[in-house]
Amino acid sequence: MPFFNDSDELGTVMRELWVTIADDSSISSPLLSSKLIVRFHYKEPDGQITIDCSDGENMVIEWGDCEKQPVVEMFMQADVAHKFWMGQVNVPMYLLNGKMVAKGPVNKALALLPAIKPAFKKYPSVVRTTLNRDL
Amino acid sequence: MKLNSFIFNCPTRVMFAEQESASIASYAEDLGIIKPLLVSDRGLVENDVLRPVIESLTDSGIPYETFYDVPPDSDIDCVNKAAEFAREKECNSIIAVGGGSVLDTAKVVNLCLNQGSDLLANQGLNILHEKLSPFIALPTTAGTGSEVSFVAAIKDLSEKRKLVFGSRFLAPDLAILDPTLLLSLPGKLTAATGMDALTHAIESLACSVTQSPLTEIISIEAMRLLFEHLPRATRNGDDLDARAGTLVASTMAGIAFTNSGVGIIHALAHATGALFKTHHGLTNAIFLPHGMRFNKQESCQVFARAARSLGYADRQNDDTACDILIGKVEELMESISIPPRLRTIGVPAMEGELLEHWSELVLEDPSIMFNPRYATTEDVIDLYKRAY
Repeated sequence: MPFFNDSDELGTVMRELWVTIADDSSISSPLLSSKLIVRFHYKEPDGQITIDCSDGENMVIEWGDCEKQPVVEMFMQADVAHKFWMGQVNVPMYLLNGKMVAKGPVNKALALLPAIKPAFKKYPSVVRTTLNRDL
Repeated sequence: MKLNSFIFNCPTRVMFAEQESASIASYAEDLGIIKPLLVSDRGLVENDVLRPVIESLTDSGIPYETFYDVPPDSDIDCVNKAAEFAREKECNSIIAVGGGSVLDTAKVVNLCLNQGSDLLANQGLNILHEKLSPFIALPTTAGTGSEVSFVAAIKDLSEKRKLVFGSRFLAPDLAILDPTLLLSLPGKLTAATGMDALTHAIESLACSVTQSPLTEIISIEAMRLLFEHLPRATRNGDDLDARAGTLVASTMAGIAFTNSGVGIIHALAHATGALFKTHHGLTNAIFLPHGMRFNKQESCQVFARAARSLGYADRQNDDTACDILIGKVEELMESISIPPRLRTIGVPAMEGELLEHWSELVLEDPSIMFNPRYATTEDVIDLYKRAY
């Protein structure tokens, strides 16, 4: 059974998670320095979120359709995203077996993985706050 | 010991035999090749390396078009020219004869023929979902393993970076391993490309989160073949048995790394090559012993298993067996005249902004994600200083 019941739940959690990341300069600084626009596409339930760090100062988070042209796009099942933020995804293995698809100059995006790892600790409390669900 | 989860693919059929390139027409017919684009480089054409392939196609009445303008480090412009030419001539397939640059170019040309010519839109990992046009690869070096790998890298000269393409659908349908195609390869290139293959084998062995019993046994056998045959092939290019040994080893190492990845040594070599245009295999070789020592705390057991399987260690503890293996790599490098220092291959003494930029390139290289030990900026600078 999928962790997220529908796109609304997925969107609520992902938006809040990225707002939390944006508010923590220790995590957001390296992401802003990259000046990347990254879009995550989710399936089952479906949804997409765009993280725009292009001005290097503010992180703009947009859930749903967005006209901005992403530099890098990542595609995955919503359950894979959930496991990722729980720190349970072996990213190299998921890239080898195709459970994660990366489009664009992936080296820049993958280089940011160590920088966002501290956000794994924030994810359970985001889920608790937004969905009233313990992990 | 608990096994990793793993996935193992080898979609490429591999045919090994002396002079098998002269039978390419029969394989082409099996694959539905009607009119291939023959991709290669001028040096190989001038050395008559393509003759058996051309004779086989001609004798069998298979029409073909040629694109021989692949440079040593291929770029977007070259791929676009070849793809446009193939479209204009209505080629339905690719036959590539050459080293890593030729084979990678052919992979991306095949991608363009099937997915459109916007290379920037097609870069990435796993974005293909279906088979491409029939593709036969005939390697003329024993190093890159590109004849069986799922990845290709093409230079974007305007942005001074490499575009990375990765999908199992990029792999050739068939790799014909014909050691006679390697006979004209000079000793220095034989040594450098062979060390590239050895680096693939050793790094794939060390990728602790993605390696498997399948990649481990393939890597170790590739190492055994290279330790045995690379010195002979380097000393005497006409030694066909030695050429065969290195060629098969290179393909095996290619199968291993395309399934488990490479690590920090490739990241170091990619960054160094990007800035100073050093030879990839040679740069890998110089970083190899240093990278193995860096990874020793995570890879000691698997390196020790390899040392014992290769007969270099017996009852010594893992730590000693691991050191013995690193020593054997250094002995091999010395025996084939690989210089041990970066300074001798044109890498300058780096400091300040240049060193910072270089270390950023190392740490953003996708290979480093597979490395068993996390590396910091200080770590990669230390490795540079040791190798310099």
